Amino acid sequence: MAGGDRADGIPQGRPGGEARRDGLELILAQVAKGDHAAFSTVYDQAAPAVLGIVRRVLRDPAQSEEVMQEVLLEIWRTAARFDPSSGSAAAWIMTIAHRRAVDRVRTEQRAAERELRAATASIAYDEVSDAALTSLEHQRVRHCLDGLTDLQRESVTLAYYGGYSYREVAQLLGVAVGTVKTRMRDGLIRLRDCLGVE
Amino acid sequence: MRARGSGLHALVGAYVLDAVSEADRASFERHLPTCEQCQQDVRGLREAAARLAEASAVSPRPELRDQTLRAAAMIRQQPPLVVSQKRAFLAGRRWHISQPAGAGARPWLARVALTAAVVLAITASVFGLHLSSMQGRLSAAEQRDAAIATVLGAHDATTLTAKVSTGGRATVVMSHRERALVFIASGLTRLPAAQAYELWLMSPTGVTPAGMLPPARKGMSGPMVVYKLAPGEQLALTVEPATGARHPTSVPVVLVALGS
Repeated sequence: MAGGDRADGIPQGRPGGEARRDGLELILAQVAKGDHAAFSTVYDQAAPAVLGIVRRVLRDPAQSEEVMQEVLLEIWRTAARFDPSSGSAAAWIMTIAHRRAVDRVRTEQRAAERELRAATASIAYDEVSDAALTSLEHQRVRHCLDGLTDLQRESVTLAYYGGYSYREVAQLLGVAVGTVKTRMRDGLIRLRDCLGVE
Repeated sequence: MRARGSGLHALVGAYVLDAVSEADRASFERHLPTCEQCQQDVRGLREAAARLAEASAVSPRPELRDQTLRAAAMIRQQPPLVVSQKRAFLAGRRWHISQPAGAGARPWLARVALTAAVVLAITASVFGLHLSSMQGRLSAAEQRDAAIATVLGAHDATTLTAKVSTGGRATVVMSHRERALVFIASGLTRLPAAQAYELWLMSPTGVTPAGMLPPARKGMSGPMVVYKLAPGEQLALTVEPATGARHPTSVPVVLVALGS
């Protein structure tokens, strides 16, 4: 998938990105053996992204910190179950983080709160004022998101950043459920190819 | 059949984005092991989704780092899957992220451990304890982890410390509400193989054995959890035959009044 055929001058790989990723797999193997120093390295590398995605989904800062810590502890607990053949360590960690955040939203959020959240979502979306906004990673993702059709982009971001199910997304966007499903898939595929991940 | 398969395949994006219902997720995960293309798609799309997360990175408050690392030291890790399990896992469960036996099913433990970590951090800084040196013992029994976390995390947790007459220092973290305490000792005098330290609860009405201290590791004995505390009791440590005694046979080397 490392489509090197793009001509817009956006670098395909992050500087040192691949090395860092390989590193995280090795560090995770150390964590699986109970290595606390290795775990602190995993924390340093993964906690900002974990907190970032959890906060986008949950909104509530205190609850997000709590879930971020739970995710990191789950990584500590289950490091031995990480299977490199099913993807990178970063993808494994972010999958756990996102799933946990969405589960929390679905189990705890009452209907009324969800209404409120929908109303404030557009404000909160731009509230991430951190260094993330100016980071190369953020800009690359932004750039690739811009390459999606509107419906693909909205389907992907409402699901991933908003924590909505495809049925909810369909309702929010006023389109058929089947359409949303394929837009989510096609949008992610386009994103994957644009980011040059495999 | 083909229509059904491709219908499920269309779900791959929603699945990776966690935008599916429980029922959808279950049927997709049943379908996955039989669909090489779906597995490959899930892999690739998860990498893309992970980049969406990484693009949102924010710096956690610095104090969360220490809390999390300390909490980890109190949580037992899952063992790797052995080969036969792994086959079953690869056949069916490889794509599941939340495992029923994992921390995912018990976030309360993580939460309790986090609370405990804060308490223990204070204890550690005052008494020079190091969680890393306790971790080996803690991971021996998961249930005990939870008991320790509960005591350390209790609102009424209090810490007592006392010198051991034959050398070393004993620390007790106690919760009357939980009717339990955690005992840790450092630098106890080494005993011959035939002898061991034994804990006792002493009350005006009698003496109850409260457990044998396992051999020290890196100078640290315990932690031991003692349950069923009653008001007014004292905790005592004596030197006994390694097989244990039913009643103390020597003078306590440390005696801690637990209050009420």
